Amino acid sequence: MLARRASAFARSFATVVDNAGVKVAAVDNGQPTTAVTFLVKAGSRYEPKPGVAHTLKNFAFKSTAKRSALGTVRESELYGGVLSASLSREYLALTSEFLRGDESFFVDLMSSFLTSGKFQRHEFHEYVLPVVEAESIAASQNHATHALELAHSLAFRSGLGSSLFASPHSHVSLDDVKEFAARAFSKGNIAVLGTGIDSAALSQLVEKALAGASVGNVAAESKPSTYFGGETRVESHGGPETVFIGFGAAGPADPALAILSAHLSPQPSVKWSQGLSPISAAIPQGTSVQPVLVPYSDATLFGLLVQGSSAAGVKEAAKVVTSALKESTGLKGDALKTAVAKAKFTAASSLDGRDGILGALSTKVFANSDASIEATLASIDKVDATAFSKSVAAITKAKPTFVAIGSVHALPFADEVGL
Amino acid sequence: MNVLGPSLAPYIRSSRTLKKYVTPVAHWYADLMGYRKMGLKYDDLQVEESSQVQRALGRLTPQETYHRSYRFKIASDCDLHHKPLPKEQWSKPEDDKRYLQPHILNVLKEEEERFTWDTMTVQRK
Repeated sequence: MLARRASAFARSFATVVDNAGVKVAAVDNGQPTTAVTFLVKAGSRYEPKPGVAHTLKNFAFKSTAKRSALGTVRESELYGGVLSASLSREYLALTSEFLRGDESFFVDLMSSFLTSGKFQRHEFHEYVLPVVEAESIAASQNHATHALELAHSLAFRSGLGSSLFASPHSHVSLDDVKEFAARAFSKGNIAVLGTGIDSAALSQLVEKALAGASVGNVAAESKPSTYFGGETRVESHGGPETVFIGFGAAGPADPALAILSAHLSPQPSVKWSQGLSPISAAIPQGTSVQPVLVPYSDATLFGLLVQGSSAAGVKEAAKVVTSALKESTGLKGDALKTAVAKAKFTAASSLDGRDGILGALSTKVFANSDASIEATLASIDKVDATAFSKSVAAITKAKPTFVAIGSVHALPFADEVGL
Repeated sequence: MNVLGPSLAPYIRSSRTLKKYVTPVAHWYADLMGYRKMGLKYDDLQVEESSQVQRALGRLTPQETYHRSYRFKIASDCDLHHKPLPKEQWSKPEDDKRYLQPHILNVLKEEEERFTWDTMTVQRK
């Protein structure tokens, strides 16, 4: 039974069809609901001016030639669907989740934004800008988010370094957004991902929805990423003391980093226990360490986010993290096997959820690479002790990305924690 | 009746003959109203004490808002002096465009749509 399931999953997962320039991938595991995501290469790395991508994201589901913003919301409410838009550094994802059978309406609703969004000036001022501002302020007050934003800008500078959020001082005009949308919403930049829907049915709907549209054919351009690294310190109050220690590398995602992340993660496998990670036993009370692994199409950022209530505790934990990171080059034997198993489980279990499937597909669908879980697991399995230590040594040899947010007079500098 | 007041214009425009005869009279009447002598445009006379018109005013571009308040300033100056502007400064009929009416119509259409959605009856198929 399990084998049959697995093969069905593999078969349905590997279907990335190129449908008149638009890539369509769908997986049907028999879920009671369907989700369709239009993935557009309109992330912040492609934006011509800071904040444009964030503003465009908030324009999603506003007035189109077919229906007004109110009509969009009310009509999808009648169908019981949920609409959402999310932005990553590479992609803008427009998602709708709905009951099986309503796919033609929701595909039409989302594609009408891509093909005939009106971008009205009053909607820009009345609905879009207030939300953009609120989201930016909320993000800047969350130390973890802020640290990752700063880490990206240090690590990659331009391109992937550009912030997901419009700063309060960015002057994004409606024309900027319109121009960016016109360039981004072209067939080569769009991929459609579905869960709980048949691939053939979805590609038929997408073909119909994007057929009559005057969708241009301009490829989104961004120069290839390079890793730089650096150090920054930001004085801030009202949140946990935060330190981010990260390393990055240009090039495709390295499976060794998934193993490193699994090895260092202090998340215990059993409730109320400490976990086997070299970090979890050594960090002081009241501090937390969280591994962060963000793979992009042509670069990866790996790091550990250390947070705590006191700067002294965070400094202590950051020292522990750095030494654990350095010692992990010598990982071998059973410890490596444990980490590999943990990494494989994390990769596989992420595909249970809709977000996980979307994340796994989104990194692969544009590159046309094998998105099946077997390929991912095989690539993790292939890493042995020598390959692992080589990969870890290579990434830690680069200049570290070090971000400190909070009481900067007490938080450590990069050289004080042993970097 | 909405904030724009009653209007026969759509009916008159729909008939070619009526339009032909009424248009010159309309232009003559607009000139006779005298607002152009104060440097104003027709939409400056729109009653703005209503939420719909206030929303429409918020949708003008900054440039339009600036010109609008500048015209008001000129007009109140004329009022103080109890005399119209010199003839070369009157608003020209070709500049007398309805800059506010489309925004008001949009606001009304949105309110009507909201009302329709609020009061609709859903029929299950």
